[in-house]
Parts: sequence; structure tokens; C-alpha cells
Amino acid sequence: MAELALRMAFSLAQITVVMGVIMLTIMVLTLAERKVLGWMQDRMGPMEVGPYGILQPVADGLKLFFKEDIVPAGANRFLFSLAPILALVAALIGFAVVPFGPDTTIELFGIQFKPFIISDINIGILYILAFTSIGAYGVILGGWASNSKYSLLGGLRSAAQVISYELNVGLAIVGVLLLAGSLSLVKITQAQAGWFWNWYVFAPPFPQLLAFVVYVISAVAETNRVPFDLPEAESELVAGFFTEYSGMRFAFFFIAEYANMILVSCIAAALFLGGWNAPYPGTALARMGFVQFAWVENVVWFAAKVYFFLFLFFWLRATLPRLRYDQLMRFGWKVMLPIALGNILVTAIAAYLFPR
Amino acid sequence: MHPVLDILKDKFPDAVLSVHQDKDRGDLSARVKAAHMLEIARFLHDDPRLAFDHITDVCSADYPDDPERFEVIYHVLSLPHGVRLRIKARVTEEHPVIASVVSVWKGAEFMERETYDLMGIKFSGHPDLRRILMPENYDEGYPLRKDFPAEGRGWRSSFPFLPKMDETAAVSNDNEVPEAEKQVFRAEVGAGSTRRTEELLLNMGPQHPSTHGVLRVVLELDGERVVKATPDLGYLHRGVEKLSEGLAYMQIIPHTDRLDYVCSMTNNYAYVRAVEKLLTLAVPERAEYIRTVVAEMQRIIGHLFWLGTQALDIGAMTVFFWTFREREVLLDMFEKLCGARLTLNYFRIGGVDSDFTPDLARRMNEFLDTFQAHINEYDSLIANNRIWIGRTKNVAVISAEDAINFGLTGPPLRGSGVKYDVRKMEPYGAYDKVEWEVPVGKNGDTYDRYWIRMEEMRQSARIIRQCLAQMPQGPIIADAPQIIPPPKANVMRDMESLIHHFIIFTQGFKPPKGETYCATEAPKGELGFFIISDGSPRPYRMKIRAPSFIHMGAFDHMARGYLISDIITIFGTYDIVMGECDR
Repeated sequence: MAELALRMAFSLAQITVVMGVIMLTIMVLTLAERKVLGWMQDRMGPMEVGPYGILQPVADGLKLFFKEDIVPAGANRFLFSLAPILALVAALIGFAVVPFGPDTTIELFGIQFKPFIISDINIGILYILAFTSIGAYGVILGGWASNSKYSLLGGLRSAAQVISYELNVGLAIVGVLLLAGSLSLVKITQAQAGWFWNWYVFAPPFPQLLAFVVYVISAVAETNRVPFDLPEAESELVAGFFTEYSGMRFAFFFIAEYANMILVSCIAAALFLGGWNAPYPGTALARMGFVQFAWVENVVWFAAKVYFFLFLFFWLRATLPRLRYDQLMRFGWKVMLPIALGNILVTAIAAYLFPR
Repeated sequence: MHPVLDILKDKFPDAVLSVHQDKDRGDLSARVKAAHMLEIARFLHDDPRLAFDHITDVCSADYPDDPERFEVIYHVLSLPHGVRLRIKARVTEEHPVIASVVSVWKGAEFMERETYDLMGIKFSGHPDLRRILMPENYDEGYPLRKDFPAEGRGWRSSFPFLPKMDETAAVSNDNEVPEAEKQVFRAEVGAGSTRRTEELLLNMGPQHPSTHGVLRVVLELDGERVVKATPDLGYLHRGVEKLSEGLAYMQIIPHTDRLDYVCSMTNNYAYVRAVEKLLTLAVPERAEYIRTVVAEMQRIIGHLFWLGTQALDIGAMTVFFWTFREREVLLDMFEKLCGARLTLNYFRIGGVDSDFTPDLARRMNEFLDTFQAHINEYDSLIANNRIWIGRTKNVAVISAEDAINFGLTGPPLRGSGVKYDVRKMEPYGAYDKVEWEVPVGKNGDTYDRYWIRMEEMRQSARIIRQCLAQMPQGPIIADAPQIIPPPKANVMRDMESLIHHFIIFTQGFKPPKGETYCATEAPKGELGFFIISDGSPRPYRMKIRAPSFIHMGAFDHMARGYLISDIITIFGTYDIVMGECDR
């Protein structure tokens, strides 16, 4: 009994830390996005709140917190309230299986636990795919329950988009799963240790470069980001599925979008770019003799890879126009799907011929 | 007599009452019997010797003392022969009906609706004769009639259809398109492709991020596909035409600033040119060059603004900020030139307000040195971008015949391959003294119109450079003491100047009796002013031929069958500004 309580306490502590880090990252991201876009567009970005505008996220959060909470007339109150919660919970719950650092085990009060992953379940990647799909319900229900045609169209687009691109995400990672022979993110990451050519994006016998490209594009589509932000296409559907949302409910959708961005970036880093592994074998700190601090270097590498993807999201937003609904569907089904399927076929043959 | 008038007179000896060729201004006009209007219109359109294929405008004038009170005025243009013609037909107050010419020129649909709305003339055979600028349920009469009070009907509270300030608005949980009004927005049966059980009417605007102002379009949707798109205009109607009937000619210039508020220079230019044509007043050469330079600067500004917003509508955010960076430089120069950045009020009848200084010319040349690179920079973001091409190629295609038939002008017409530019056909300013080309598209799609506007910016830069090099010294305003106010310094010292000053500013100058139409190539298309003068210091009737308004007439034609996302592209590709559209 005491052991169970202790385990729960550890887990709670881990969850608190991870959620704290994620929320902090989201705050940083909202500012970073505006700053990066600003620099790319020959302007400064937010400059008013705090030095260089660094307190802008706090001001934004406070503002949203004190906004009036409006439920439109004729909306389905229950679903209208449920939708943002569903979106946010689904986005955050995926972090439970993401390995942020090396697979070390610490023993504390006689109980072993892993400090860098909340729950090392052996079907980690399936778990994440399952929950991101549930997140789509948040968007669809939010669009439907608002009793607004723009929201409804946004929800419809989102439904179509999520179905098309979820499939591609799933198929794109099958190649990696074939090579790794596991669904656990920890095992997959461990398999990529050593030099950077062991990362699955470059890995022999068959580099998953195509799968990586398919995954990144589909991930952008899945998180409703430019150029695939059709469900919330500002110039067409006003704000799409969250047109009618205000205050904290709106903030929930907003946080969910950023949390999803972080999550897909984490998965991309773990599956294709070696997760916490440095591009060289072992860690520099361990070689210098600071073995007990080697995890710092691992965590930094992981964070660097995640931030690289997040930067990519901003970069795309500053560069590309928006696709049209039919073009999006055509691209998903006629271009991405065949590539992903072909990749599985070739990888399967390669893995059979050259077993590792 | 002009051959066109001869042909017309020979063909319809009874129906054509009189023909007139204005010696001073070159306008051709014919008065015809209203009963034969449709017949004559069809002949004008179909006869190859005339080929009046383009309808420029339909408007009307009110002469309350005449037995036949209303005059319906058609301006038509023959693109193959480059001839304009004005057809006038009279109808009585008791029976203000004339046959609609929509079957000949489809573009007449909106123009006739406007005439109906503002003057109360009914067009028999019109497919959809409803009010267009005024509210649907407006029952105060027809505003442009002379017996409609120009002062208005008092305060907000005396209009029953406006919500009262202290009253809470009635909460309506209806759909945004009331059931009773739905019928007009529905397409004819069978226009949709799939079987439907219920249509979705989507109300886009007047509050919408990308309707470029207060435009409302009701879309009938089949899934995401547009079955019918009905523009609902008039949310920004200020009654500029009625207003100007109570103002002296000089006082109207600031009002033209607010038509197409993105390009007020060209509005000023179009208006003062019309007045000068009415007065047959010659402008000094330096003023002509300065006018050309600022008009082309304004064209660059307008196109930069268009490019930024069109790209933003399609989702490319960065272009918007980059184009505004260059726009800012030009606006600063306008500020230096005349003290304003947006509503410039720079043109004067007979010249311009202030001189284009050598310092400004130097700054302009410096700007032009880098401008080419900047245009290429925008192109680098979008011109070869697969998504951009996918969003613009084969979207909102309009054939050359349809574009002409709808009365389109400017880039939307040239995008379809029709080489019509007022600056080339009827050169004004210094356009015939410099070298430049008219870019023409091929497919009539959004991408071609995009390309044309990019190319026009390059041509504008070329024109400005040559104008700055050739600009002669001399006065910047004509010497016509009866019309043009004397310099302030003289007013204080010279008795004659003081008298002219006093008369011009208390009474206004009196142009001769007459009427004229004058077209100017604005960034958006042909901006025309039609002025009827009765010899008084105020125009008897002023009609603005706003390209945005006429382009909206082709909206349904161009939008049908495309997706919601393309609707946004079409708003952008017209480059509409509601200030001009609704007037």
C-alpha cells in the first residue's frame, strides 16, 4: 500500500514537472512565434510588455482569463463546453509516453522509477496515435456545437483533414516500427544510439527519409498549421471551428494547438532523429568524466531537436500560402498515401533482406 | 458628322431623335425614343461597323420641368474602333419604364439596378430588379430625384428602420438570412451538381475578415462548392453623387479622395480631368508630368496594397508586410508632397496643388533603383510557389467575350487578353510622351491578373523614371483667372485677384452648359466621371463610373462552381474597395 502511494506520488510529481515544462514551452512558443514571424517580415514583433516584449504571453494569458465567457444562442451547451476540454486533454495526455531523456532508472525509498518518462508502456506510439485522434473530436464537436455555419464548415473540414492525414502519419511511422521492431518510444530511441547515421531518417538498410518527409508534412496538417490551417482559415472561415469561442475556452483550443505542435515535434525527434541521442556515440559530458550529468546533455539534444521542428512550423507559416480544401485532400490521398505505402513495402523488403 | 452617328441615323430614322457631336470635347451622343432602346442597343452591339461591345455605364438624370422627366443615359464603348457613344432616352414620370439591355450587355444588370434604386426607373425584362445600394425595405423614395431633399430627413431617431440608441436590439435567433428573403439568393433549380436535400445559405460579410470592407455576399453552397453567389452592396453608400449636386466643383475634390481610399490620387485625377474636359481647359505641361508621376506612384501603391491583401487572403502572410514596407516609402513622399498620406486632395482644377521638388525627384529615383529588386523579391515568395499557382491558376476564369460583355475594365479585362487601357486608347497626361507597354494576359484566370498587376508596377516604374527625366520647368497650374483661384500672396495686394478670389470662393466658377464623360485608368479599372452642367456653379448631375461596382456585377458569373476558398481569391482579384463600389 505504501509502495503504491509512493509510486503515485512520484508519478504525480513527474506529471507536474512535465506539465509545467509543456505549459512554459507553450508560453515561450507564443512569443517565439510572433518574434520569429516578425523578424521574417521586417518588423519587431511584440515590444510593449516587458523588455523586448518578453512578458507578452503573461499579458495574453491574463487577458484571456478575464474575458467574458460567451456561449452563443442556440449552441449545444454541454458539447460546447466539452469540446475545448477534449481537445486540450487529448493533446496533453500524449506526453505521458514521451521519453525526454535517457532510459535510466533511479531508486528512491526502495522504489525504482524512470525520471525522464512518465510511463514507459510498450505500445507508446499507438497510445499517442489513439489520443491525437480523440483530439479531433474536440475540434469537430466545437465546430458543430457552436451553432454557426463558419464553425460547422471548419469542423467539417477538420474531420476530413484529420482522417486523411492521421492515416499518413500512421503509415509513415510503420517503416520505423518495422526497423525497430517495437512500439515503445524508449526502445525505438535506444535503437538509434551511436553515430547520427543510425538515426532512422538516415539509417541503413533503408533510410526513412521519405517517411520522414511524409510524417513532417502530415504532422503540420494534423496540427492545423499553415499551409494546412483550413479548419481555422482566417480569411475564409473567420476563425473556423473556434469562431464562437472566447476567453478561457478559446485559450484551451489555442493551448491544445501548441501542445499538439510540441507533441508531434517530440515524436518526430524520437522516431526519426534519434530522440535524446547525441549525433555522436555516448555523450561529451560522460567522456569528460561527468557521467552523473550525462543526462543533461541528452535532454538538451532532445530539446534542440524539438525546437528545430517548432521553428520549422513558424518558418512554414511565414513562407507559404494556404492550400485549398480539394487540393489538400488530393495531396493527402494521391501523393502522400502512395509514398507512405511504397515506403512500407520497400522498408519491409529491406528489413527482411538485411536483418539487423 | 461622325460615321457612327450617320450609321445610326440611317438605320433608325424614326427612333433616333437627334444626334450630336460635341466639337470641343469630342463626345458623341444620340437621343433616341425609349420604346426602341433595346432594338438600338442590339444593333449597336451586333453591327460590325459599330461593334459597341463594351457597356461603360448606365445612369439617369432628372429634369422635373420637362414633360418627359427622366433621361436614361447609356455610355457604350466600341473596343475594336475605340469610339465612345452616349445614348439618351427619355421616359415620363407616370410611366418610367424602359426596356432592359441586360440581354445585350450582361454588365448592364447592376448598372440598371442602380438606376432603378436611385432614380426609380423600371427596366422591363430585367432578371433581378431590386434595390442595390439602398436597403431593400427603403421606402423614402428615390434619392437622386431632384425633389428628394439633399439635406436629409433629420436625425437617426427619425428613421424607423434604424435601431434606436437606447433600445436593446431585438434578439433574433433566426438564421442570418431570413426565411422570406431566401428566395432571391437561391440558384435556379438544377444548378447544383449533386442531389441535395437542403441548401446551405452562407452569409459572408458585411463583417468578415476578407471581404475588403463591408461587402456582403450570400453564398448558396453545395458542400463547399458555390452554386450561386449574390453580392449585396450598399453598406458603405454615402450618396456622393447626390452630395456633389450641392457642392461647387472645387469642393468635390476631397469627396473623390474617399471613393477608392487606397488610391485617392487617381480619383482626384479622374475628377479634375472630367471638369477640365467640361471647361475645355488646358493644363500646363509641367503639371501634366507631375500628374502622371503621382498617378503612377498611386498605381504602384494600389497594386502593392492589392498584392499584400490578395496574398494575405490566400494565406501568405509575409508578402503583406513586405509590400507595406515599400508602400510606406511612397506614402512618405506623398506626405512630403502634399501633407497627407491617404486622403490626399492634391489635384486642383487646372493643375496641381504644390510642386514636385527636385528633392522629391531624387528620393523617387532612389526608390525606383531598388524597387525592381523588391518586386522580384515578392515574386520569389509566390510566383513559383506551387501552392500559390494551385490557388490562382484556373480560378475565376472569365473569357474575353464575357469580360467585355460584363463591362470589366482594368486588370480583370486585360487578364482575359483584351488590350484595353485608357492611357493608350485616349492618352492623357504624359502617357503618350513616354514609352511603356500594356501587359495582357491569356487565360483570364487569377494568376494572369496577378501577373498583370506585377507587370504594371514595373511599367509604372518605367513611366515615372522617364517622366522625371523629361519633366519641363514651368507653372504647375493653368492661367485662367475665372476658374482658378489666384495665389494667396496676390489676393492681399492686387485688387483684381481679390475680386476673382472672392467670386470663386463665394459662388464658384460657372462652367458652360453641357455634359461630358471622361474616363481615366485607375489601378482598379476605368474610373469615369460623367458630369452634366446646367451652367450653374454646381454640377447638375454627376455620375461616377466605379470599376469596383461594375466588377461586382460579374461576381456570380465568376464564382459559380468554385469553392468557398476561391470566393476570397475573387474578392482579391477584383481589387475591390467598397468606398468606391458603394459610393
